[in-house]
Amino acid sequence: MTRLSRRDFLKTGAVSSVALLNGCQPLFGKAASKAHVVVVGGGFGGATAAKYIRYFDPNIRVTLIEPKAKYITCPASNWLFAGLATLDQLSVDYQGLKNYGIEVISDTVIQINSKQRSVTLSSQQSISYDRLVLSPGIDFRWDTLHGFNQELSQRFPHAWQAGPQTELLNQQLQAMPDNGTLLICAPPDPYRCPPGPYERASMMAFWLKQHKPRTKIIILDPKRSFSKQALFEAGWKQHYGYGSPNSLIEWVSLADNPLVSLDAERKTLTTEFGDHFRGDVLNIIPPQTAGKIAIDSGLGNSSGWCPIQPMSAESSLLPFIHVIGDAGHYSPIPKSAFAANSEAKVCALAIVNLLNQQAISTPNWLNTCYSLITPEHGISITNGYQVNAENGITAIKSAGGVSQKTDPASLALEAVYTQSAYYNLRSDCFD
Amino acid sequence: MKRWLLMVLSLTSFNSHAELSGENIALNCFNCHNRKPAANSAIPSLNGYSRQRLQQAMLDFKYDKTNATLMPRIAKAYSDSEISAVAAYLSQQ
Repeated sequence: MTRLSRRDFLKTGAVSSVALLNGCQPLFGKAASKAHVVVVGGGFGGATAAKYIRYFDPNIRVTLIEPKAKYITCPASNWLFAGLATLDQLSVDYQGLKNYGIEVISDTVIQINSKQRSVTLSSQQSISYDRLVLSPGIDFRWDTLHGFNQELSQRFPHAWQAGPQTELLNQQLQAMPDNGTLLICAPPDPYRCPPGPYERASMMAFWLKQHKPRTKIIILDPKRSFSKQALFEAGWKQHYGYGSPNSLIEWVSLADNPLVSLDAERKTLTTEFGDHFRGDVLNIIPPQTAGKIAIDSGLGNSSGWCPIQPMSAESSLLPFIHVIGDAGHYSPIPKSAFAANSEAKVCALAIVNLLNQQAISTPNWLNTCYSLITPEHGISITNGYQVNAENGITAIKSAGGVSQKTDPASLALEAVYTQSAYYNLRSDCFD
Repeated sequence: MKRWLLMVLSLTSFNSHAELSGENIALNCFNCHNRKPAANSAIPSLNGYSRQRLQQAMLDFKYDKTNATLMPRIAKAYSDSEISAVAAYLSQQ
């Protein structure tokens, strides 16, 4: 149904009435000669989609709508805790995209009018599209822990969107008492950046080992296991005394005894069976959903994420809207910036195919996530993905997986690649 | 060389449903291997290599004939003819 080619769609009466609604603008002539794609969200997914649509077909007009003049990347933001980067070094602007002829509008989309194929901005300006790419990232569920709310994230930062939250958590880390405890409340699956909480613990432990070696980080996890677990635990054992009474990092699975409440005054978390965890610093990373604009527009399902058709990235729920990045339901592809870039390229190719009345080519996705345990100890996980017979997504078997070589030289090399991979990925998206 | 190329092409066309295009796979190479290489990048750009050299490098990764951290895990996801198509695409960039 949603696979109607542009030519087929133009034959229907729907577009005529849209043209009338739009005050008889020359929609036909304009759209036929130069289709317009609007991209909402200037993170890794949105930036890549905008850039690659122009790369594949410079005749397509592309408008990117993003409220921030500068984007601070979530990838690499854990490096801040180890003193390896500043937020300024993790910031990108949109000049690179403008150089491709992409129009960048600094505003927020407050409404998607899917029937009229237009978006309304907070300035009340309306922008029409032939195809919409939505890359809104994540939002948080604030109601799952009794006693916790959005306002309290100013005291117990999530730091899961890089920026002031990351600075706040870093200040709290550095102000911890010498024998203090820092609690990281990891989120349940699925969430942005599966290795993120464990890389964060590593980067914090690296700094604490030098400045406050009597402190402890406790990861409270609703899961039974986590991404790259064996590699993280081996690294923690090697560098941070993991498994010993003086370990800088402890990991506690609360899969059968979940956290249920927060006492903000006592900085204490309580589990279903009444166990208490008190911390000097609480990094509460709430459960996540697709970004608000996607949910408000009816693009999400009961999972809280946006179902898509893998071949085109087009929403399964509303036509002419493509969802990419963390907001999309691309399982088993993890929610990462690398994956968002890969999904954006598949989406860009499909949109160019659709706008040129061509068949959509078979997509292929890749994800690679590097993590640092120390600045000289890197680990990675990677997988290729393809469409399966049921029009879902499957990891390509007999390939992928975590780092196989764990000798010091290989781990040091992976640490070097971690940094290069970050800057190169960022450049592929934004430059 | 020509015979070899024809063979690959015919394999590709006979397996068109299972095989992925070189471009669709290769687009993911640029995530790490930047087309505008930074001077200090430890990950090389793929600019300026011949098709033969790129193909041999990827086959060596796939069949564990070379010592590397990440690429052996990635290259195993693709058939030899897909790797050939990736090399053809990359060499023309």
